[in-house]
Amino acid sequence: MSQFTDEELKQKVQAGYMVEGPEDMTEGYRKALRVQLTVQADTELMSAPSYWMAARHAPSTNTQVSAHAIIQDELAHANIAYRLLEDIGESKEHLVYGRQPHEFKHPYGFDQPLDNWAELVVATGFFDRAGITLLTDVHENTSYAPLKRALVKISMEETFHLRHGEVWMRRLAKAGGEARELVQRAVDWMFPMTIEWFGLPDDMKRHSGQLDYKLKGLTNDQLRQVWMSSTVPLCEELGLNAPAHWDDEKGEYVLDYPFPCQYDAVDKHWAFDEGEISWDAVFERWKGRGPMNEIYVESVQRSRMDVERWLAA
Amino acid sequence: MKEFVYDVFTRKERGDRLQHVGYVDAFDDETAKVYAWTTYDEEKWFEMCVVKRTNVLPVNRTDGLFVEAQKAAHV
Ligand SMILES: [Fe+2]
Ligand SMILES: [Fe+2]
Repeated sequence: MSQFTDEELKQKVQAGYMVEGPEDMTEGYRKALRVQLTVQADTELMSAPSYWMAARHAPSTNTQVSAHAIIQDELAHANIAYRLLEDIGESKEHLVYGRQPHEFKHPYGFDQPLDNWAELVVATGFFDRAGITLLTDVHENTSYAPLKRALVKISMEETFHLRHGEVWMRRLAKAGGEARELVQRAVDWMFPMTIEWFGLPDDMKRHSGQLDYKLKGLTNDQLRQVWMSSTVPLCEELGLNAPAHWDDEKGEYVLDYPFPCQYDAVDKHWAFDEGEISWDAVFERWKGRGPMNEIYVESVQRSRMDVERWLAA
Repeated sequence: MKEFVYDVFTRKERGDRLQHVGYVDAFDDETAKVYAWTTYDEEKWFEMCVVKRTNVLPVNRTDGLFVEAQKAAHV
């Protein structure tokens, strides 16, 4: 049991105290950390089959290698996050192999199919940028020392994923014609997808304790702004339409469409013209999971039981 | 599948300190070496070692952070 009360721990971490293990935690801290690490681990894990199935669209053996290098990194990142969960008493075996597809906590974006090379590179340009945005904030602010140390490797590799995505976005966009059109179509569905990934706006956010326990430093809206502050200029530079712009008066990026809004996963189309929907409707869609959810989870779990049976025989 | 936690230590350059960089879950020493080498490939390491976590012997205290982590080391 913890040596501190919840209030004491909150004050200590705000003053710079680093938590090293379960004996330093309160139950509230452990729970908040568990939720955060589960989302992180599941996101890394589910990005792997999503990128892996798309890597077959790679245009050369060299690009195959770099796509698979990214996938290998993501699996290693997942391993690290599940390992951290084990150290606070969770079971990796259960988390990876014992859950139903809908029980994973990754964002809805990693339930979608990536259907061509342009979609894969925009995914690494946008989704990995979201990953870096979230994890850089954690790296700089977290009070959980083992996570801070683990993020050194992860940040280094995410930067490479992002660069790979951006270099290829630039190359395809500059080529014009069909290449550019495919990048634009990918931007059209992935930009709002990433915006939504950052979650509830601050004025609606239920109190989660993540800020009090110093598991992160920035709010959802602040993180959304950080992501846009790199992504919108990139799109402008490449002559791609992104549905957001800088507002001088407000001193922040503003979306050019109703947020949140409904998404048709079959057509990969955001229903901007149908107007704003409630966040309850968004949560409902997330809970229903996307078209590739079962296929991606199955691809991770499929052989575990078989091999276990062979080894036991 | 019974697996163990192995801690991974690396040295970036000759003369550097051997540092803890992470961990892998593996069922024996040989696979632990392979997993560590392919997983922690973010640098061109001068040296890499793995240690089964249960083989680490605490010296000055029995309630240290590493001892606590050892208790969870049997996957
Ligand atoms: Fe990652
Ligand atoms: Fe990544």
